[in-house]
Amino acid sequence: MQVTLKILRYNPEKDARPHWESYRLEAEPMDRVLDLLHQVKWEQDGTLAFRKSCGHGICGSDAMMINGVNRLACKTLVKDLGTDVITVEPIRGLPVEKDLVVDMEPFFDAYRAVKPWLINDQPPPERERLQSPEERAVFDEGTKCILCAACTTSCPVFWVNGTYLGPSAIVQAHRFIFDSRDRGAAERFPALGSTGGGWRCRTAYNCTEACPREIPVTQLIEEVKRAIMFGQM
Amino acid sequence: MYRGREGQWAFYLHRISGIAIILFLALHVTEISSSMFGPKWFNALLKFEENPIFGLGLVGVAALVLYHALNGLRIILMDFTSWGVKLQRQLWYAVWVVYVILGFPMLFIMLKHVFVGGA
Repeated sequence: MQVTLKILRYNPEKDARPHWESYRLEAEPMDRVLDLLHQVKWEQDGTLAFRKSCGHGICGSDAMMINGVNRLACKTLVKDLGTDVITVEPIRGLPVEKDLVVDMEPFFDAYRAVKPWLINDQPPPERERLQSPEERAVFDEGTKCILCAACTTSCPVFWVNGTYLGPSAIVQAHRFIFDSRDRGAAERFPALGSTGGGWRCRTAYNCTEACPREIPVTQLIEEVKRAIMFGQM
Repeated sequence: MYRGREGQWAFYLHRISGIAIILFLALHVTEISSSMFGPKWFNALLKFEENPIFGLGLVGVAALVLYHALNGLRIILMDFTSWGVKLQRQLWYAVWVVYVILGFPMLFIMLKHVFVGGA
């Protein structure tokens, strides 16, 4: 089948602002959008810039806005888009460096701000810190995050706010706050309870719809809000 | 335009209706406080506001208040219960069902008041 791939291109050395460019391609229904991007880069225009690494939905490199929704290019099949005109734009709210490549540093700043590691000041036990399957299940969803930024850059508050940590960082915080072995809630509170923290979430649910790992992002954020509110952290 | 689903539109509409309500409130307070200049001015202002344009504006504000109130209940359920978030989409449709049930009699009463008159 013939498809038209429209890509929002931007070259900081030449363009004043991003512009659309169209490419006609021969595609199979089972092709991924990533395959189409490769086809353009390899056969039509080698200057096209985008990120990819594993190509199998695990590394989280190729989140982009495809037909108006944030998805991973490597997990989106042409047939699932249901149209022969496919638009691809960089994810929003982060500075575009070139074409589909954005500066992820603000995203990782927010990630680091919630201290996404185990904090426990007690002396280590002789063997491992034990945890029951029930205790492990409480934070299971958050462990699936691949830091692709599809959720954070789908959030209308993140686009305009400038200080909001964003859904992904709060999901990462949830993963540790609700871990029975972790004792760092008080250390994470300054970031999460501040004006740029959990309270900026206005439950627009774009994050939950966008997550390629099907994490119930909004639900986890609401659990963090309640933990702050009811003094569990 | 980002192609978000129900939650995104619920959020945008909540924001827009919230801003419209606060603007109306500012206007309303200004109007009422004009009574401190005496009955002459206040009555003249009220007379001016009998124009159906203001009546229709009020119908619009009431429509936004009703949405903001009902979606506000939806947000409370999402914030304070463990199940609200999982049912957010259904809750939004429920908001619109209640909106129509409460809104239609309200619309009828208000339009009658604007165009026919009487309390």
